[in-house]
Amino acid sequence: MSGHSITEPTRRQKWIAAVLVIAYTVIILIPLLWIISTGFKSPSDAISYPPKVIFTPSLEGYVNLFTTQTRITPDMEATLPPPETWYERLVREKGMVIAGPSRYGQRFLNSVIIGFGSTFLSVFLGTLAAYAFSRFRVPIKDDLLFFILSTRMMPPIAVAIPIFLMYRQLGLSDTHLGMILLYTAVNLSLSVWLLKGFIDEIPREYEEAALIDGYTRFQAFRKVVLPQAAAGIASTAIFCLIFAWNEYAFAVLLTSGEAQTAPPFIPTIIGVGGQDWPAVAAGATLFLLPVMIFTIMLRKHLLRGITFGAVRK
Amino acid sequence: MSGVFRRFFSGLMRLRRGPWEMLASILIALGVFMMMQPFWMVAYTWSFLVTLTGTVMFIITSHFPE
Amino acid sequence: MTRKMADRLAEATPPGIARKIGGLSDRSLAWLFIAPTIFLLLAINIFPLIWTIRLSFTNYRVNRVNADVKWVGLRNYERILTDPDIWQTMQVTAHFLFWTLFFQVLLGFALAWLINRKFRGNDLWTTLIVLPMMLSPAVVGNFWKFLYQPQIGLFNYMVSFVSGVDPASFSMIGSIDLAPWAIVIVDTWMWTPFVMLICLAGLRSIPDYIYEAAEIDRASKWRQFWTITVPMVLPFLMLAVLFRGIENFKMFDLVVQLTGGGPGSATEVTSINLKREAFEKWRTGYASAYAVILFVTIFGLASIYVKALNRVKER
Repeated sequence: MSGHSITEPTRRQKWIAAVLVIAYTVIILIPLLWIISTGFKSPSDAISYPPKVIFTPSLEGYVNLFTTQTRITPDMEATLPPPETWYERLVREKGMVIAGPSRYGQRFLNSVIIGFGSTFLSVFLGTLAAYAFSRFRVPIKDDLLFFILSTRMMPPIAVAIPIFLMYRQLGLSDTHLGMILLYTAVNLSLSVWLLKGFIDEIPREYEEAALIDGYTRFQAFRKVVLPQAAAGIASTAIFCLIFAWNEYAFAVLLTSGEAQTAPPFIPTIIGVGGQDWPAVAAGATLFLLPVMIFTIMLRKHLLRGITFGAVRK
Repeated sequence: MSGVFRRFFSGLMRLRRGPWEMLASILIALGVFMMMQPFWMVAYTWSFLVTLTGTVMFIITSHFPE
Repeated sequence: MTRKMADRLAEATPPGIARKIGGLSDRSLAWLFIAPTIFLLLAINIFPLIWTIRLSFTNYRVNRVNADVKWVGLRNYERILTDPDIWQTMQVTAHFLFWTLFFQVLLGFALAWLINRKFRGNDLWTTLIVLPMMLSPAVVGNFWKFLYQPQIGLFNYMVSFVSGVDPASFSMIGSIDLAPWAIVIVDTWMWTPFVMLICLAGLRSIPDYIYEAAEIDRASKWRQFWTITVPMVLPFLMLAVLFRGIENFKMFDLVVQLTGGGPGSATEVTSINLKREAFEKWRTGYASAYAVILFVTIFGLASIYVKALNRVKER
C-alpha cells in the first residue's frame, strides 16, 4: 500500500512507545542480571553496602556451590602439600580445604532425569491421545477434554496429601519413577490440549490420500501425521520440560534425598556464617540459564503454550 | 435491555445451556467472593455451599442443548 | 532436531506391535490411544481425589497409625468454615489476588498497547520481557529474598536512591505491613508478561478496517479506544484474569520461598496454611476437608475458564 495508512501509528508515537517499553524491560531485567552477577562476586562483595556494580570477578561462588569444605588450622595447613588446582588454591586462601563434592551436581542430575523422563512420557502419551481426540469420534469427548484440563488446575498441595499416602504404600516416595509418573500426569493435560491444536491444523486430506494408497490408519498416523506435527511436538516437549524443571511444591513434599530435584535444594545452600549468596546465585544461574535459552527458542509458540492452545497468534 | 432479560428467562424456562451456565457462573463467582471478603463471617461460612451448588449446576447444565 | 524427535517417536513403536494394531478399526484404535492417558490420570488424579473426599469425613492422622480412625461426618467442614484463622488466611489470599491482578492487568495491557504501536525491534523486547515468567518460582522467590534484605539488598538500595529513605530502616519481608506488598511486587514482576502476551494477541486480532471505518465516521481516538479496542480485547483479558486468578489462588512456591508465610501469618496464603495443617500438624482428615473445599472452588473457576477459552477460540 502506498502512502500512510490512517491506522498506522505516527513516528512520534512509535518513538515514545519504544522508549517506554525499553525502559520497562531494562528495569525488570535488573533482578535477573543481579542474580547472574552475584554468582561471580566474592562473599564480601555480595553483601557490601552500597551494592557493588563494578567488582573483581571471582569464581568462589561456583567453587562453593560444587564442593563442601572444612576449616583447618594454620599448623595443619603447613603439613599439607601445596594445592594442585586453581579451585583448591582458592579455597586454601580462606584457610579451608575441600572435603568433597557438594550435592548440587546430583540434584541437578535428578532434575535432568525427572524432567526428560516425564517429558518423553507425557509427549508420547499426549500425542496418541491428541490424535484420537482430533480425528476420531470419541463419546463424551468434551467432558473428557475438560476432565483432562481440570487436572492441571488442581492445587498441588491439596493433591499431594493423598499422593503422599499412596506413594508411601507403594514405595514410590522419593524415587525417580514416582516423580516421573507424577509430572507426566500433570503435564499430560497441557500436552493433550496443545497437540490436539497442532494436529487439528494438519489437513485430513493428507491422511485420506495415504489411506487410499493402502496405508492402515496406524501407518498413516506414523508416516503422515507425526512428521507434519514434528514442530508442534517439539515445542510441546519444551513446555513440558520447563514445567517439570521448575516444579517445586510436589518436589519439596514428596522427595527428600535420592530423587530431590534442584528447586527445593537451591534455597538450602548455606555457607559458613549465614546464607552463602554467591553460591546460591551461582546455583540459580546454572539452573535458570537453560530455561532462558529455551524461552528464546520457543518465542513463536509461547502464547500458544501458556493458553493451552487457545490463542494461536 | 428488557429484551435481554426476556431472552434470559425464556432460556431458563426451556432449559437452554447459555442462561443456565451464566447463572451457575454467577453462583461460583458469588461463592468465591463470599469466601474471601473480609466483612462478614457468616458469608464465609456459607460460601462453600454456594460454590458447590454453582459447580454442580455448571456440570449438569453444560449438557443442556444450546 | 524437531524432525528427529518425531522419527524417534515412530521408531519407538516396535514393528510387530505396529502391524498388529495397524489392522484395528478406528474405534478400537481411538480407545487404544486414549486409554493410557485416561488410566494415568485416573490413577494419579482421580483415585487420590476420591481418597481425599473419603478421608475428609474422618479424623485420620498419618503420624498416628495405630489410633483407630473415626467417622466424624461433616465435622471437619464445619470446623474449617467457622474458623476465624482460616477466614483470615482467605483474606490474605484475597489481598494478594486482588492487587496482583490489578497491577498485572494495568501494566500488561499498557505494555501490550505500546508494543502494538509496532515500533522497530518490538519482537526482541517482547521476548526479553517474557523471560521472568518462565523461571522457577521457588528459585525466583529465594533470590528476591536477597534483593529484599535491608541494608545490603538491591531493592532497598534502589528505593532509598529514589526516595531518600534509609535503606536499613525498612524490611520488605520482615514487617507485617510491608510483607503482603513484597509478594505482590514479585508476582507482578514475574507475571505481568503473561497478561501482556494475551492482551497483545487480543489487540492483534482486531482487523484494521474497523478502525478505518471509525476514522471515516470521525470518531475521536479516545472514543475508538473505548468502543473498539477495549470491548474487542475484553474476552482475552477475561481469559488472562481467570487463569492468573486460579494460579494465584493456589499460590505456593513463590511465597513459601520468599516469606515462608511470615512474619507471623501476614503472608500465609491458603496453600501455605494447608501445607501446615497437612504436613506439619499432620491433621490428615481435617486437611483433606480443607483440600476438598479448595478443589471445588478451583473446579468451579476452571469451568468458567474453559467457557472463556472456547469463546476466545471461536474468534
